[in-house]
Amino acid sequence: MGSLKDKYCIVGVGETEYSRQSRRSTRAMAVEAIKRAMADAGLGGDGVDGMMSYQGGDSTPGNWVSADLGLRLNFYMDIMGGGSSTEALIGLAMGAIEAGMCQTVAIFRSMNGYSDFRIGGTGARAAQPVRGLDLAQVPFGMRSAGQSFAPTFMRHMYEYGTTSAQVAHVRAAHSKHASQNPKALLKERVTVDDVLGSRWIVKPLHLLDCCVETDNATSVIVTSAERARDLKKKPVYIMGVAGRVNKPRTDFHWAHGPISRVAGYHAKDIVFGQAGITPEDVDVTGSYDAFTFTTMLQLEEYGFCKKGEGGQYVSSGIIELGGRRPNNTSGSHLCEGYTHGMSMVIENVRQLRGQVDDYCPGGADGQHSYDYAKGKCRQVKNARITMNLGWAMPATGSALILHN
Amino acid sequence: MPSVEYRGMNLVIPENDSEWREHFKLARGHRLMLRACTECRLMRYPPSHGCPWCASLDWTWQPVGGGGHIYSYEIVAHAIQPGFKEWTPYAVVLVELDEQRGQPTEHEGLRIIANLVTPDFRPEREDNVAIGKRVRVIFQDLNDDFALPQFTLTDEPPVGRVWQLPG
Repeated sequence: MGSLKDKYCIVGVGETEYSRQSRRSTRAMAVEAIKRAMADAGLGGDGVDGMMSYQGGDSTPGNWVSADLGLRLNFYMDIMGGGSSTEALIGLAMGAIEAGMCQTVAIFRSMNGYSDFRIGGTGARAAQPVRGLDLAQVPFGMRSAGQSFAPTFMRHMYEYGTTSAQVAHVRAAHSKHASQNPKALLKERVTVDDVLGSRWIVKPLHLLDCCVETDNATSVIVTSAERARDLKKKPVYIMGVAGRVNKPRTDFHWAHGPISRVAGYHAKDIVFGQAGITPEDVDVTGSYDAFTFTTMLQLEEYGFCKKGEGGQYVSSGIIELGGRRPNNTSGSHLCEGYTHGMSMVIENVRQLRGQVDDYCPGGADGQHSYDYAKGKCRQVKNARITMNLGWAMPATGSALILHN
Repeated sequence: MPSVEYRGMNLVIPENDSEWREHFKLARGHRLMLRACTECRLMRYPPSHGCPWCASLDWTWQPVGGGGHIYSYEIVAHAIQPGFKEWTPYAVVLVELDEQRGQPTEHEGLRIIANLVTPDFRPEREDNVAIGKRVRVIFQDLNDDFALPQFTLTDEPPVGRVWQLPG
C-alpha cells in the first residue's frame, strides 16, 4: 500500500470554553465544538458526512450530536478511549475516507470532567464496582490515573536520577504559555518552588504535577488534501500517525520492563518512518501532560533527547516559548484545561497556521509580536512541523506529525 | 453474585470469572499460587487464559514462595476512594517475586501490586518504604472465599541498591 503522507489534512478545529461548571450536557457542548470547527473550515451543513468520538461512558454518541447539526452521516463510530485517542481517530478517519466510506470526518470529545464524571477518579468513578483486571490494582487503593502511573516515574527516578525539580519545570513552562492564552483556566505563572511546595497527592506527585479537571468539548475535522484545498483555511497536512501503540503485556504492563520505558519506544519508528523526518526537524511538540512527568517520559522516548536524559531536557529551557522546541504552547492539560488530548492537536494546527489565539491584537490574521512576556504572544515564529505525543498510560500511546 | 465489601468498594468475583475466582480462593487458604504454562513452563501474573509467551491455553496453578523485593512504589497522601482516607498515607508497592526474575527476557519478572503493611495490616510507616527492600506475602482475609495477598517487610538483606524518594 502506498504512503498516505500529505494526502490528508486537518481543515477545521474548535472547542467550547474551558470551565469547571458548564451547566449543560455533553451533547450540548459537543454540538458547539463541532459547529465551531465546521465554521473554522468553512464547511456548511452538508460538508461533514463522518463523525467519530471517544469516551469512557461519560459522554454522548455521535449519532445524537449529528442530528443537532442537521447532518446526515455516511459513517460514525464512538469508541472507548481517553488520552491518545485523538491521534488514533485521526488515522482511522483517514482510513474511513480512503475506503470510500465517507468524505469528511468530524472527531470530537465532550466531557463534564469536573462537574459530573470527574477525570481524577473521585465520585462516580470511585463508586463503581471492581471486577476483572481492575482486581489487580484497585483493591489496593490504586484507582486514579495518578495512582496508576506514579510507580513508573518513581522507577525512572531510581534508574536515571531524575528529580521532582526537573519535571516541575514542565509545569512552570506550561503555566507561562497559559498566561498568554485567553481561554486557559489557570493563567497564573508558577515557579518550580511553587510546584515542589504544593501538597502531595501521591508521592512522587505534588498537586501541581497534576493536570486540571475541566468541563469542555473539542473537535477537529479531517478530509482529503484534494478537498482541503477548496476550504477556507490553509490546510495542515498529516505527515504521519501512530495510533494506540502498545508495549507488551498491556494487561499488566508492570510485568514487562523496563517499566520506565513507555509506548513511544515502539511508536516512534512508525510515525517518523511515515513522515520521513527525525526529531531534529520538529519545531513544536505537544507531549501529553496529564502529569509533568508524562511529558518528560515521552519526549525522551521519541528521541528528543537520550533515554534517561528527559529530566535535563525539560529543565533546560528548550520546551519554553522562545526555546528551541516549545512544548504545549497553550498551557495544555496542566493549565489550559484537561481535554483528553484533543486540545494539543488543535493548538499545533493553529501554530502551523500562524494563528494561535493569544493576546496579539492581529493574532487571528497572523500578526504576532513574538513577545513572550506574560499576557502577550504565544505564536512560534516560522513553525513548519509539529508533533503530538499522545499518552493513554505508560504502555499505550499515539503520535501525529503535521506540517503546513 | 458473589462479592465482598472492602473499604467501601464492592469487589465482584462472579462464578464465571475464570481468571480471578480461584486466585482469591487460594489466597484465602493462605497460598500464593500463579498460573504456569504446561507447554513452556513459565508462570505469569495476573491470572490469564493464554500464555503471554507461547500462547498455549494449557496451564496449572503453581505455588511460589511469597518472597520478593520492592521494585517500585508510591505513597498515597490524598486517597481517591473514600474508604482509604483513614488509611493515608499508605504505600502501594510493585513487588518482584523471587521466582523467574529476568525471564524469559532481561527486564521481565513476576510482579504484583499490593500494599506494604505491618503484620497486623496497618499501612507500613512511610520512612520504611524503599526500592530494593525485601518483603514477604501475608494474607488479609476478607470473607470465607476471599483474601487479599499483601506484603510486609522482612529483615533479609536488600536486593541491589536501596532507594527512597528524597525529602
